[in-house]
Amino acid sequence: MEEKTKRAIRTGVILAFIIVVIGLLIYSRIVAYSMAPQSKPVDLRPLPLWEIPIVYLIDYFSHGTICLLFAFTVAGLIYEFVPKEAITKYMGSSKAVGYGLALAMAPFLTVCSCTMVPLFGGVLYAGAGIGPAITFLLMAPASNILTILLTGEMISWEVAGVRIIASATTALAAGIIISKTPWGKAVEKEHQIANAASASAKVEIVKPSLDERLWAALKFAGYLAKQILPFFILGLIVVSYVEAFLPEDIVGTYLTGVTGILIASVLGGPLYTPTLVEVVLGKAMWDLGMSKGALLSWLMGQPYDVANAMAVSRIAKWKVVATYFIIAWAGSVTFGLMYGMLSGSL
Amino acid sequence: MKEVKVEVIGTEPPCMRCQATRKAVEKAAEKLKQAGVMVNIEKANIMSKEIVQKYGILVSPAIAINNTVKIMGRVPSPEEVEKLIMEAAK
Repeated sequence: MEEKTKRAIRTGVILAFIIVVIGLLIYSRIVAYSMAPQSKPVDLRPLPLWEIPIVYLIDYFSHGTICLLFAFTVAGLIYEFVPKEAITKYMGSSKAVGYGLALAMAPFLTVCSCTMVPLFGGVLYAGAGIGPAITFLLMAPASNILTILLTGEMISWEVAGVRIIASATTALAAGIIISKTPWGKAVEKEHQIANAASASAKVEIVKPSLDERLWAALKFAGYLAKQILPFFILGLIVVSYVEAFLPEDIVGTYLTGVTGILIASVLGGPLYTPTLVEVVLGKAMWDLGMSKGALLSWLMGQPYDVANAMAVSRIAKWKVVATYFIIAWAGSVTFGLMYGMLSGSL
Repeated sequence: MKEVKVEVIGTEPPCMRCQATRKAVEKAAEKLKQAGVMVNIEKANIMSKEIVQKYGILVSPAIAINNTVKIMGRVPSPEEVEKLIMEAAK
């Protein structure tokens, strides 16, 4: 068979798969099929301890598989087709472009967590400034495409949208503020390399054919799933116990109102949660009565966890890390309060 | 014997995809040795000052052939690497 025909068939098959996945998601939206587990605490509590996670997992996957499938597929596609050279080519051109690129590309580039700290380092070394580097670092975990899609599908698109806006504002603020502090400037100076490559000459990215790119996108989606799902399932097991045993009156007292926001922002931050688990745990707490404001604070805690901080402190020193920790936490509280008040669910 | 320099640029320690990329390059190099092309594989750290000075900000894993970055942010197949090296060897 001719090479071209083989290519066309491959492209067609892969596209068909993608259309089916998207179609399934749209279909589930139309028939209002819920994407989240339906088990209520009262269903889970009477069960023997070992059975609780099993029931919850079956519940989750019988509802949420389409949503996970959609999220990973879309993440894979976007990662493959986003022009990563844009970072190389345009990051250093001007501060405004630097911040813009950091905000725009962070959600898509860092689904693979191993690239986050190297990119942070790269931006710094290439002289694009500590501001855009910090903005990138904070925007990535808060608004990465997988987590936003899951937030939208499991909780609500309103919360997902607010999460993006709040995270972007906080990330931008942190970047700008840190770039003006003396210790931020010191780190910038220390790492900036004289004549870092201006990037146009030595980078000529080769674009493979469409079917190869589509296939690579799906392979990447599979890789993400392999990386994320094991810890995600562990997280779900924990969530099943929370859902079963966390008393609703404790949630009512400690996870609503201003207290709720403060507690959620502290819990959501340093507590390391595997990717996507913060969404499921957030949903469980919301079902148990957590307020919208506290929920947002909880979700926004992603960027300031301890693991992240340690990796970054090796490059940027602890003063910068401490500063962004505080700014990110403040952002989480501020937006939690604003969203809580505006949505009437403080 | 034609000589081509291939830099495999990744994180230190190498993440799974960086390792997969290096394996793809090694496989291609094996085949090309028989075709008379000598491939010098160099492992480079994406966060090193040398790499940033040379290429700027890259997304790992990245492959540079004869000092030009050709692939960034994805794992290529050995066949694709072979094709690119052959082109550079002309």
